[in-house]
Amino acid sequence: MKMKMKKTKREAMIGYMLISPWVIGFLVFMAYPLFFSLYMSFNKVMITPYGIETHFLGWGNYKDAFLVDVDFTQKLFLFLKSNILMIPIVIVFSLFVALLINQPIRGRNLFRAIFFLPVVITSGEVVQELFSQGAATIPIVEKYGIITMIQDNLSPGMAGPIIGIINQFILILWYSGVQILIFLAGLQKVNTQVYEAAAMDGASPWVTFWKITLPEVKPFILVNLIYTIIDLFTNGFSDVIKLIQDNMFKANTGFGYASALAWIYFTVIFAVLLIFVLFFRNKDQSIRAARRS
Amino acid sequence: MASFHGNKINPSRFSLGQLKFFVFLVPLGIIMVLPIFFIFSQSLKPLDELFLYPPTFLVQKPTFENIGSLLTVADITRIPATKYLFNSLMITLFVVVLSLVISAMTGYALSKKQFRLRKVLFEVNTIALMFVPAAVTIPRYLVVEKLGLINTYMGHILPLLALPVGVFLIKQFVDQIPNELIEAAQIDGATDITVFAKIVMPIIQPAMATVAILAFQAAWNNTETSTLYMSQETLKTFAFYMTTLTSTVGNNVAGQGMAAAAALLMFVPNLIIFIFMQSRVMDTMAHSGIK
Repeated sequence: MKMKMKKTKREAMIGYMLISPWVIGFLVFMAYPLFFSLYMSFNKVMITPYGIETHFLGWGNYKDAFLVDVDFTQKLFLFLKSNILMIPIVIVFSLFVALLINQPIRGRNLFRAIFFLPVVITSGEVVQELFSQGAATIPIVEKYGIITMIQDNLSPGMAGPIIGIINQFILILWYSGVQILIFLAGLQKVNTQVYEAAAMDGASPWVTFWKITLPEVKPFILVNLIYTIIDLFTNGFSDVIKLIQDNMFKANTGFGYASALAWIYFTVIFAVLLIFVLFFRNKDQSIRAARRS
Repeated sequence: MASFHGNKINPSRFSLGQLKFFVFLVPLGIIMVLPIFFIFSQSLKPLDELFLYPPTFLVQKPTFENIGSLLTVADITRIPATKYLFNSLMITLFVVVLSLVISAMTGYALSKKQFRLRKVLFEVNTIALMFVPAAVTIPRYLVVEKLGLINTYMGHILPLLALPVGVFLIKQFVDQIPNELIEAAQIDGATDITVFAKIVMPIIQPAMATVAILAFQAAWNNTETSTLYMSQETLKTFAFYMTTLTSTVGNNVAGQGMAAAAALLMFVPNLIIFIFMQSRVMDTMAHSGIK
């Protein structure tokens, strides 16, 4: 008993030791600035030659965001509309690609490299340049009238998001690099003998996918959900983030107001994440229940 | 070695059975590679082609004019471009190495060591990932100023080390290592360092390579710390220098060509680090012994 106590204590101590550099960095460069911005979101902040002046406003900034600001709620809503649909698509697509490049095919390593490539493209200046040149759209889609076809055959409420997805298809491809990697790692963990046994018992590839592969990669779906939501919502292309940045140095709104917007946005992202995770968990449980019966 | 996957045999020849995979992989792969051709072709386009409408994807009459004019402008500024390059290389090197070490240590501890704050800390990290980075600019400036990091290399490096996404990814990969494997090693007398080096490291290599790429990009493309924390010109980064070069020419016609050339110049190191790292990214589970 005594030995065991000692061991767990030692474990904890090593644990704390290993994380301490990160914790210090996190507290100084993330946690403190975050709380400072929360404090500022309740204030009117003015940067004067004598330093930073603050006036306490209470919920004033938050009220302004919803009641006075015409841009913010509109942009936030538009952004959510176009991005929430992208989340499941990115997940399904990256799982699909991961399955393909996990197959024993010729040139597999080359394909793996190619599909991981977006990781270097989607960050920084490169993608900005590509966007300004319009390289992120597929010209073929417009040329052959696919979009007008959709518009003609579907109600506007349905057609809008679908066209949005087609237009953003390349973007979806580019945002799945890390997700593909995570799924691939999950797939490679599956024991190949399980597949062989299933094939022996006469399971079709389709059944094998639902009964073996999917349950095995399930934890990775959750990881990818979180990663995708973060990746989509906090990259520099979010109109909401641009709006927040614009407000930061405006004389009449300032940093306090920008902070309030950032916290509202953060709350929204958090809510989206929570909804997806809860939905996913429920589904998971119902699948499990179904299998048990 | 790399092609050995248990009972699956990597075919060395194309067969008809593979066709169904290629139907999907080839077009998708082409879309993935296109941007890279685009960046190269764009920087080689002469001015009249850059403004062509509808724009052409590939360059018709390639020229080195853009790159040439970028270098001439670089020549007439006071500080040699190599100084900025040196700054960026130093900063990037430190950021990549240190954030790898910190993320790996933290990810391992958060996943495999038992202590009270473990779960809370990881959740706090994930939540921090969701916050708009721009919104902490001013408080972070105040912190940097208070620590006396204005106009020091540390002012570039330290703020970039808080890479929550690195901790997030590495922890997810360490989670996949069964505890029994680590316990077995410990029973055989392995110390924490041995466990880490011999068991954990090989398995999390894909995550480490990814974090290295992400950290490299964060550091290499970083202009924010130069604009905010550095007033001395000699301490600024190459990425910042590139933005000033293209903006001094203004948004005029010649600037577009130079911007394309600068984009290429900034992108090439990303591509090099990617090619260097990617072989480590995808194919390690096969040797890890945890099938």
